[in-house]
Amino acid sequence: MAASSASKLFRAGRSLLGGLKDPNGSIGLSKDLPRSYLFSQQQRTFIQMRTNLKVVDNSGAKRVMCIQALKGKRGARLGDTIVASVKEAQPGGKVKKGQVVYGVVVRAAMQRGRSDGSEIKFDDNAVVLVNKQGEPIGTRVFGPVPHELRKKKHVKILSLAQHIA
Amino acid sequence: MRLEKCWFCSSTIYPGHGIQFVRNDAKIFRFCRSKCHKNFKMKRNPRKVKWTKAYRRLHGKDMTQDSTFEFERKRNRPERYDRNLAENTLKAIKKIDKVRVDREARHHAMRMKGKKAMERKEAAKELEQSIHMVKAPAALQQEASLTLPKIKVKVSQEQSQENRMEE
Repeated sequence: MAASSASKLFRAGRSLLGGLKDPNGSIGLSKDLPRSYLFSQQQRTFIQMRTNLKVVDNSGAKRVMCIQALKGKRGARLGDTIVASVKEAQPGGKVKKGQVVYGVVVRAAMQRGRSDGSEIKFDDNAVVLVNKQGEPIGTRVFGPVPHELRKKKHVKILSLAQHIA
Repeated sequence: MRLEKCWFCSSTIYPGHGIQFVRNDAKIFRFCRSKCHKNFKMKRNPRKVKWTKAYRRLHGKDMTQDSTFEFERKRNRPERYDRNLAENTLKAIKKIDKVRVDREARHHAMRMKGKKAMERKEAAKELEQSIHMVKAPAALQQEASLTLPKIKVKVSQEQSQENRMEE
């Protein structure tokens, strides 16, 4: 995963450099700037259409692709609900591949501001599948979850969580 | 409200500053500013980065063991608010800080002990050896004030008497 992310970054960096009109500048930049500079350039954004998310409950789905972010013009963030399509599922689960489901974003790589002024961010984008009423379909939740969910009234997910960040 | 420590540089993070990064194994990394955060993303080891407290403690530049550090240990039990206790704690914090700063200054002085003498010795040696870089040797011989004072060695008179005896 690290290798793929590194190559993705390198490609992103390359495209950034390719956008520069000045040929000398682009060559100079690729030589002068170390690889680490490209790492810090990665800009994390919202969860929007076509975003792949990991499913962290035992509802049966493995990967899910966002179709629509309910609320939010630019996309969903930590704690928001999304409409998603199941792309990959375990054979004997409650959801099947190709099904349209709702989900709550429990981990987002984009930082979210807290009311005390600090910011929190996670390692990946993860979602917990939910029904129309907001109750989780699965019975377990894996990994850490933020306590932003309490304000959004997803208390059931918090109670199932192992660790609250 | 709790004052945290930056994972990278070990400075205190005041409320409203910094970024928290939560890894999937639920380990939380707190950073005081983007400098520390970017160094972390570059996978740098704080024990090898010169300006961090981790490096300084490891290499003996700063104090490692002291009784004043015991007061700053993390306590997880919330204390019931008591005005007297709060007042005494504030006074104690001031005093403890003063003591700690004094001890750190002493540690630094011990570390730098002998630096002046060593510098002077090195300067004298350099003057002796490399004075030819500054002034030509011929010029040194002409002007007596430029050379170091010559040490006069007493030669005993008996030797000349011995020579006369041989003759």
